[in-house]
Amino acid sequence: MSGAAPYAVEARELSKRFGSFTAVDRVSFNLDKGSIFGLLGANGAGKSTIIRMLCGLLRSSAGTARVAGYDINTEPEQIKRNIGYMSQRFSLYLDLTVAENIRFFGGIYGLSKQLITSRLSWVVEMAGLRGREDELTGRLAGGWRQRLALGCAILHRPQIVFLDEPTAGVDPLSRRDFWELINRLAEEGTTVLVTTHYLDEAEYANRILLIHAGRIVAEGSPGELKEGLPQAGPIPPSLEDVFIRLIEKQAGGTGS
Amino acid sequence: MNTIGYLVRKEFQQMRRDTRMLRIIFMSPIIQLLILGYAANLDVREIPAVVCDLDRSSRSRELAGSFFHSGYFTYAASTQAMGQVDRFLSDGKASIALIIPQGFGEKIAGSGTAVLQVIADGSESNVAISALNYTALIVGRFSNRIVLDRLDRAGIPLKPVQVKTEARVWYNPELKSRNFMVPGILAQLLMIMTMMLTSLAIVKEKENGTLEQLIVTPIRPVQLILGKLIPFILIGFIDVILSLVVALLLFGIRVRGSLLLLFGLSGVFLLSTLGLGLLISTLSRNQQQAMMTSTFFVMTPMIILSGFVFPIENMPRLIQYFTYLLPLRYFFVIIRGLFLKGSGLAELWGQALILLGFGVAILGLSALRFRKRLE
Amino acid sequence: MSGRIIPILKKEFRQIARDKRSLAVLSFQPLFLLVMFGYAISLDVRHISLAIYDGEKSAQSRRLADEFGHSEYFDLKFDLASTQEIDGLMSRDQIQAALVIPADFSRRLLKDNACTVQIILDGSNAVSASTALGYIEAVVQDFSARITARALLRLGNQPFQQPVDYRPRVWYNPELRSSVFLVPGLIGFIMIVTAVISTSLSIVREKEHGTMEQILVSPIRPFELIIGKTIPYVLIALGINLAVLVASYLLFGVTVQGSYLLLLMVVLLFLVSSLGLGILISTLATTQHMAFTLSTLLTILPAFILSGFVFPIRNMPPVIRVLTFLFPGRFFLAALRSIIIKGAGLSAFWQQLIGLVLFAAVTLALSTARLRRQYRGTEGQA
Repeated sequence: MSGAAPYAVEARELSKRFGSFTAVDRVSFNLDKGSIFGLLGANGAGKSTIIRMLCGLLRSSAGTARVAGYDINTEPEQIKRNIGYMSQRFSLYLDLTVAENIRFFGGIYGLSKQLITSRLSWVVEMAGLRGREDELTGRLAGGWRQRLALGCAILHRPQIVFLDEPTAGVDPLSRRDFWELINRLAEEGTTVLVTTHYLDEAEYANRILLIHAGRIVAEGSPGELKEGLPQAGPIPPSLEDVFIRLIEKQAGGTGS
Repeated sequence: MNTIGYLVRKEFQQMRRDTRMLRIIFMSPIIQLLILGYAANLDVREIPAVVCDLDRSSRSRELAGSFFHSGYFTYAASTQAMGQVDRFLSDGKASIALIIPQGFGEKIAGSGTAVLQVIADGSESNVAISALNYTALIVGRFSNRIVLDRLDRAGIPLKPVQVKTEARVWYNPELKSRNFMVPGILAQLLMIMTMMLTSLAIVKEKENGTLEQLIVTPIRPVQLILGKLIPFILIGFIDVILSLVVALLLFGIRVRGSLLLLFGLSGVFLLSTLGLGLLISTLSRNQQQAMMTSTFFVMTPMIILSGFVFPIENMPRLIQYFTYLLPLRYFFVIIRGLFLKGSGLAELWGQALILLGFGVAILGLSALRFRKRLE
Repeated sequence: MSGRIIPILKKEFRQIARDKRSLAVLSFQPLFLLVMFGYAISLDVRHISLAIYDGEKSAQSRRLADEFGHSEYFDLKFDLASTQEIDGLMSRDQIQAALVIPADFSRRLLKDNACTVQIILDGSNAVSASTALGYIEAVVQDFSARITARALLRLGNQPFQQPVDYRPRVWYNPELRSSVFLVPGLIGFIMIVTAVISTSLSIVREKEHGTMEQILVSPIRPFELIIGKTIPYVLIALGINLAVLVASYLLFGVTVQGSYLLLLMVVLLFLVSSLGLGILISTLATTQHMAFTLSTLLTILPAFILSGFVFPIRNMPPVIRVLTFLFPGRFFLAALRSIIIKGAGLSAFWQQLIGLVLFAAVTLALSTARLRRQYRGTEGQA
């Protein structure tokens, strides 16, 4: 990290406009190192846009952010050296085998031959693809591809990992396994920022940011957020309840 | 192995898997060169002619005979009716009609002038021009023989003056247009193949999301572009070799100049076409746009305007200036020079330099324009 | 059945309209290309760069050299001091032909009534070389005839009468403008490239984006899908084609000598054939890249070389001539030239029409068959 940056990610009034449409509206937050941060919201709320800005893939229209101590607008290349990114589409080369994809991304990140070989083994193990290294990625089922994509994103052991809807379209069992992987990463000191619209998954995160229409609607740990809501019936409130209540309040307040 | 090496290896791994494309990439230059090489023939010979001999004398038959013995014309039909001549020409069965009127032989035997009518189908203008030229020559020779006869009969001791011509043709003694066309087709094919491969190369990754994954890594634009360029240059060279083999084995056309120079200059040419393709690829939003741009703005202008078959000197000034922007224009000069004239670097350095400049400029432009951002 | 085609038509039109850039390119580029190429293309052999070495420099030889200087076909570029220069000039593409008049030119003519001049040609461009040769020989022959006539006159005889009065006439294109021959071919070339390119991505794009599956499970039948995808392009292409014909009339004086109705019919048939080819490619390709590759390889050079645009089909070896039947451009061009240039009726080109109809039918049928196989799942994952 450059200097002794206190936070892994800092965002200050981060905004993004596409023409007249405001996708992200003055979002501010800080991420502690080694924590799991959940960015929650409905589809189109602006989560992916935020992640893309933090990765240096989009310029911000207003506001700033620092990732690993580097400015997202002026130092995107340094950021890219220190982060891992997994996009919504698990962007892997479908016409390459599992092993070929891993070796390729390892090479792109500048890992040495020996390092790639050992990491290959590690990723294959982690993804549960031992014995299937020579299968075409395009033939893998969604859950396996997702794990492979995560593996490729962290081959170079980055300090910060951005995961954009990593569990989209994946079965519940695989989703749970996936979050175990993420937890293990965080325990090892990696900072993880995950976006999801599966609110039940958010329980796994240390802190959550609820996003709606590009704005932050709530922030806190899952427990804190749920505490804020009075219990309406026999079932303790879930994050979904929290979310819906907050959205309704938002909608009522702004008349949108 | 460095980043570019990994990129190149990935391209080859992907290519290896797509057997259909592989077949197309390697078979099509061969097949196309074969078919098109045999088809591209502008030699005007064996022009079908229809004879309307209304005289049917020995003289008229002699004239018609010398027509067909010349080797320029083939016998399509003969008729006695003018209306039929109409039909033959409009149906395209004959390109020229020779109409010998009644009384031709008499006039010739005497000392008068006989009229000879020739009708040419002007719709194929270059055939018509050649047909008329050949006819004029044949009639001229026929006429000279008659004059000789008449002067003899009149006892005039004069021989018609004959300035004869002796023609020597350099570089292509049999004047086969194929020797000129086949290298040209080779160049066209090279241009098309490389444009086809590269103009979709980057935009394809854009569309299926892998480009995003690449630009989030520390990779530099130059590395990305070179990583795409190198595999395609290699394919380009393979295509050159395949084409040379076809040209030699099937058409008997060999390279008079230095093979090394041919490869070197092909490489320089490839740089500019691949560069163009990559530039289009980085500028296009989706594959359809890339395809349309490269087809309509690059490939078709190059095919038509680079001087393959339509002489650049005949084009309007403005368009001639435009052709200076087409890499294929320079490569045509190079390839014809190497194949037919045995030209060396001494004659071709100008073209080579311009192509090199082009290639470097376009590639540089692509690298600069390519932003590692999504919008 | 028409009930199901209409939604497909609407969707295609909407998709086409939304991609304004592509639509603009599709609509205007053909016109622009017609104009640019129409002015540029010609097969006329003119401005033949010539060098003359006059070994004698007598009045007689200068008269011969002058013939070339005044001819519209030649550009007299160099008056050579020695024949050694020819080599360098020709290898550097500075001259296309050279005439060498020997040092005893007029002496020979006087003594033997015959003399030989040497013509040296750059054969690397065989077409212009043989035409140039023809022109040079004609000039020389003309020169000979005139000397003879003068000699006869001097002998005090009656004015020399040419035994044969040769009257050439040119039909259909009296000024022998190559544009009359070439522009219809250009129209065909541009049309087929446009048509195939625009449709070849239509089906394969849905395959790549995954929307194909959605269509496969709907009640739409393969044939309806194909018709639905072809019709919008037929209409668009028809519009472009008409614009192109009007432009070629306005700019190049290409008038239709024959029937407009026949012309329309021929154009429509050609469009359907080309679009059919595009759709067929679309069903055969598994990726957009492959569709692009196939359509480029099957249209650009073949349309240019095999359709009779520039190279007469008659000159081609028999095997190749048979192959040209596989390209709709060949039929279109023959029919188009018949109608436009010769004003011919159906009798002249009915075979071409049958060819076009067959081509259209076969491509559409094959496309339908391919789609049907994908429906039934006998096709693997696209």
